[in-house]
Amino acid sequence: MGTDWKTLADGAKTRSEFYGLLATVFREEPSEALIHELRGPRLAGTFSGMEVELGESFYNDPEAEVRASLVLEFTRLFIGPGSHISAHESVFAEVDGGLGGLWGAKTVEVKKFIEAAGLEYEQRFTGLPDHVSVELEFMQKLTGWEADQWSRQDRTSAEYCQSVQRMFLERHLLCWVSQFCDAVMAQADIPFYRAMAELTKNYLAFERQSIAPDDAA
Amino acid sequence: MKKLNRRNFMKYAAGSGCALAAGLSGSQSAFAGSIRLQAGGRDFSPTTNKELQAIPTACWQCVTRDAMIGYVEDGRLVKLEGHPDSIRTLGKLCAKGQAGVNQVYFPDRILYPMLRVGKRGEHKWKRISWDEALDLFASKLKPLLDAGTPELLMYQYGRHKGSQSSIMHDFMDAFGSQTIGTHTSVCEGPKWVGQESLWGGMYDNWDYDHTDFVVNFGSNQFETHTNHIPTSQRLIRAMVDRNVPLYTFDVRLSNTAAKSTEWIPIKVGMDGLVMLAMVNVIMKEGLFRKNHLKYMRVSPDYHASDNDKIAAIKKHVAKFTPEFAEKESGVPADKIRQIARGYAKAKSACLISYRGTVMHYHGADQERAAMLLSAITNNLDRKGGRVMGVGAGWKHPHSPKAKRQKGLDIVNGFPGEAAFPTHQCSQQNLPMIKDGQNGRPKVYWSSCNNQAFINGNNKEAEAILKDENLIPFSVSTNIVYDETSQYADLILPDVTYLERWDYEDMVSPTGVAEYYIRQPLIKPLGEAWDQGEVFAGLAKRLGIDLAYSTKEEYVRQSCEMTPGVREAGGFKYMKKHGVWHDKNAKPNFGFYEETVDVSGDGIILDEKTGVYWNYKKAGVSEAEAKSKGYLGVEGAKNAYVAQDIQGTPRKAYPPNTSFTKSGLLDFYSDNFAAKGFPAFPTYTPIPEHQKMGKNDLHLTTYKVAVHTHSRTAHCKWLSEIKHDNPAWINSKTAAERGIKEGDRIKVSNDLGEITTTAHVTEGIIPGIVAISHHLGRQHSGIYGSGKKSPTPGGAEADPDAKNIWWDKHGAHPNSIIPNSSDPISGGQRWMDTVVRVAKA
Amino acid sequence: MSDKKTPEISRRNFLSGVGTAVVGAAAVATPTVKLEAAQAKAPRWAMVMDLRRCIGCRACTVACKSENHVSLGRFRAVIQEKTMGTFPNTKKAFLPLMCNHCEGNKKDGVPPCVKACPEFPGERAKFKTADGKTIRYRSGATYKRPDGMILIDKEKCIGCGKCIDACPYGVRSFDPFVKAGGDPTKQAADKCDMCAHRVDNGVEPSCVNTCQGRARIFGDLNDPGSEVSKLVKEHNLAKDANVLLAQEGTNPHVFYIDPDNLLKTLYTQRKKGKLDHFVDQIT
Repeated sequence: MGTDWKTLADGAKTRSEFYGLLATVFREEPSEALIHELRGPRLAGTFSGMEVELGESFYNDPEAEVRASLVLEFTRLFIGPGSHISAHESVFAEVDGGLGGLWGAKTVEVKKFIEAAGLEYEQRFTGLPDHVSVELEFMQKLTGWEADQWSRQDRTSAEYCQSVQRMFLERHLLCWVSQFCDAVMAQADIPFYRAMAELTKNYLAFERQSIAPDDAA
Repeated sequence: MKKLNRRNFMKYAAGSGCALAAGLSGSQSAFAGSIRLQAGGRDFSPTTNKELQAIPTACWQCVTRDAMIGYVEDGRLVKLEGHPDSIRTLGKLCAKGQAGVNQVYFPDRILYPMLRVGKRGEHKWKRISWDEALDLFASKLKPLLDAGTPELLMYQYGRHKGSQSSIMHDFMDAFGSQTIGTHTSVCEGPKWVGQESLWGGMYDNWDYDHTDFVVNFGSNQFETHTNHIPTSQRLIRAMVDRNVPLYTFDVRLSNTAAKSTEWIPIKVGMDGLVMLAMVNVIMKEGLFRKNHLKYMRVSPDYHASDNDKIAAIKKHVAKFTPEFAEKESGVPADKIRQIARGYAKAKSACLISYRGTVMHYHGADQERAAMLLSAITNNLDRKGGRVMGVGAGWKHPHSPKAKRQKGLDIVNGFPGEAAFPTHQCSQQNLPMIKDGQNGRPKVYWSSCNNQAFINGNNKEAEAILKDENLIPFSVSTNIVYDETSQYADLILPDVTYLERWDYEDMVSPTGVAEYYIRQPLIKPLGEAWDQGEVFAGLAKRLGIDLAYSTKEEYVRQSCEMTPGVREAGGFKYMKKHGVWHDKNAKPNFGFYEETVDVSGDGIILDEKTGVYWNYKKAGVSEAEAKSKGYLGVEGAKNAYVAQDIQGTPRKAYPPNTSFTKSGLLDFYSDNFAAKGFPAFPTYTPIPEHQKMGKNDLHLTTYKVAVHTHSRTAHCKWLSEIKHDNPAWINSKTAAERGIKEGDRIKVSNDLGEITTTAHVTEGIIPGIVAISHHLGRQHSGIYGSGKKSPTPGGAEADPDAKNIWWDKHGAHPNSIIPNSSDPISGGQRWMDTVVRVAKA
Repeated sequence: MSDKKTPEISRRNFLSGVGTAVVGAAAVATPTVKLEAAQAKAPRWAMVMDLRRCIGCRACTVACKSENHVSLGRFRAVIQEKTMGTFPNTKKAFLPLMCNHCEGNKKDGVPPCVKACPEFPGERAKFKTADGKTIRYRSGATYKRPDGMILIDKEKCIGCGKCIDACPYGVRSFDPFVKAGGDPTKQAADKCDMCAHRVDNGVEPSCVNTCQGRARIFGDLNDPGSEVSKLVKEHNLAKDANVLLAQEGTNPHVFYIDPDNLLKTLYTQRKKGKLDHFVDQIT
């Protein structure tokens, strides 16, 4: 049997797209277009298949109304003012006491990691370098690159990319996002972000399994 | 939901439209460029060497504004230290200053513009873009311009200094509103008013480097002075290196009192009386120095002889014998004599006064007594004495002013409340808005200000801020959710001072001015904007021309146009070095002795007052000038040239505030007399204190070394050290009420009641409770209030938040302190409150 | 330990990443006081606390937190303050405390914390003097460097807490953020390290740098020309009355100029098994 390059490429591509979806959800308040797509037949199928409960009103209310309530919820949960869930690794990860908080030691590590992989932060991006959506988007980029390597039948590069993904997951995303998701699930008032947090947590657990080195064997 | 595995994940997710959805975010990717991984299985190593920078900048935790160095590691601010080249600070920085790092990175910080969506105080918010925020804000301002009512924009600030102040005034001038509220009257306004009535200007410092003797009334120099680091280190050095004695009169054993040669407990509000008793001793025993008499006016006569003046002063203070002062103040007469003698005989001496002295009924008059004590011993602006602080004279760009300049008369207190509110009466700004007689702003913009926390009766302030009928549109520029911003309609995320540009000008006690700048140590987090950029964004939308487009540009221009700084290398030099002073400058002590050329066109001598003034500059004819005289022409004070001092025209003490006066120190003040206040410094009992019942106690407030009034509670390193503010109470007073250390107590009066803890101590006079005023926060982040509301689940995730070991967060005394003003100056009478105390 | 010289690590090397310690501000700091130890022998770093000059401002407490990323709940530097006497003859005074960087008793020259460390004596380590000479000394999780600093190697630490119990001054605590390298199920011990990372770069400790009263004077006791040597001589500080708990035989190297006898009247000694006296809190 020869290598099924397409299956490998599709696998990576699907992971990339999924990371992209989660990054989009946590990046900022949803647009109506995003809500429209999330309620659309294809994703609705995905969500129901995974048993992700976004709530009846998410599917039934007018898009503008859904958006309005999600905007409030997003702001309350992730922006403030006042106490909120700061969606940043340096706030959640355990580090030396003086180096936590916003833009902590972890922020610097994440930034350097991402820059070492060839990416730069967009000038217009005003979030912090270790925002949950940034880390998810970085995984989207890495897995997308991996998919390209499989398509080019370059196993060495694809597997190298997997090792970088593994490193990033282990050093960063897996260290904190599950706690972050727990906080969101505990504090969410309406089902959407609770479900998305659960999905994210679940997905990362799956990623932990699927990228484990022995899993490939 | 289902547990994901490879098979079901691919089944549900592949080709599902995730990709499409992912592209539907409103903003773009966080990244530019594309993945560049070195293929071939080489080790991926994301760690590189640390990038370290040392950047000169300036502190702003308190108004002292020390020059400092920020150390930045990989884009993260890691440490702040004093600037070793600063002639003011000599490289030192206080506890608050070092905790500035906490200002940037505390997890509750506001990083985006927020629009209120629920009711005021309901804590429901929506993040909006800066474009939306500025469009909305401008849409509220435009109608004010169109209707010719720019004054209906009110700008209420707490601390704006240096370029932060000038750029704000520049914008408000360009807009045309002079409805600008400050906060000095809740700080130390009466002190400045007292000084302005005498030497024209204000801001005294003390030349501790050369002094021989120091007497301190009601100032906590070693913990909290407004020029703390430059002065307190010099004072302790003088004490240890040169055995300079320090005598501190205070109701409470502050750290300053503790380190003094002697703490002299004194009853509340008696500082001025004891000063007058000291004057009494010095005059009676002939210990005064004649040197300064020629600059003093102590009776209606402008031309009195030295002997006449001596007699007049003696007469004024005759009744304030040490025995009389002892009876009222509790300070032993012999102690007053001893200190008066030591003070007068010392080669040079400093007389310190601050909030303990002046935040009272007739507080401004008490400051005048402090000045009198300095003048009769020739210790005013002389080496080793009470000197005029010298600050930098920056030039800055000016935008075209609006033709129409108007202001609502709501910042100087109610009609008749204060005679000379030259530093406003800001504790009444909100009550006056409620009253409405003098109009109400339609747009209320508060910046670096927390009206609902810092004033007396702060619960009323909250209610006013909450009422949309009283304040239709309210904007708060802030870094933290606090008692005031919770009632705003729009919150604009401010930069911290560690992320912004400014020129700075706080005074130097050495007599040589220091020019210094503040520059960003890091890029502002999130979407925090400097107020300068906000002004520019509004101006653009309102069609107003400004002389700058960014704050950096404003500061750059200021550096290039300011003499001295410009020649040193301007902006480039200041960015590199942070501080500049004229190496050839000598301390300008004795500025009043400078002889003045009075030969210029239009300069005449006013026979009555001895003032040389320029009638042409005053805009009157020679005939009118001569007939009406200097005091009779409105605005003549702005044409002051010199004072005739025994036949020589000297600079003396020019008037430079709303007080029209000669160049003499007006210890006899027509201004005061005309308004029915004592013309000569005197002792006026505090009305509330005369009516106290047997069980009543005084309430005073104070500051500690590790907090500012309202802007440091969220700094974890500071709140860890000071997070509770138990009420200090003397053991005798406590025993009378059955109160023991640590007991819960109720402190109450007609205004309300607070529950707090008793700290029973020997370090306070009987008959009083003292409560520091930094704590008891409603919000201010998890480190400030411990509260996780309005949204739980957030900041406590911060790694260090798990280590919070204290569960007390203090009680705020301001809710039982009425807003009540010194009728002379408009200063808030913090120290005149009467309360009852009982076990809770 | 006779003719050793002070280490002189060049700033450039440090900046290029040679150093592995917490760098903080030290590497780029402009020293307000350049530390110059005696060239003839190894330095013996020491601190003089001039209690006349301490105004209880807590700048040192916060400077230390900031420099060393000390978590909440623990302090490496504190001020004890106490109100004494009866009104109106009331006094209040301040006493800054830190690790005493003890020399150890006369017999073996090993301080109690080092003695208590199960990882001491470990393998021999090298200490380079300024003139390039090498001094060998015994490493440990807690150990004494030839220049007198008592340091913690958190990689070696097993988190047993014996040093914490052994210190009569109670200056040690577990760092909630740093795992013990020798047993990652435990937390590492932590305490004042005299800002070794700064001192090694010729920059005075952070608390000294910020002390506005100049109550903290740091320097080399082996250099007779240093300010600390002069002060120890001038005020006769090398005696029991001018160090904390002399009776413990620890031979502290933090000396107090103490004209008001505060070491006797103010100092609150730790209670057995408790460290709460080493928390800085203002009432």
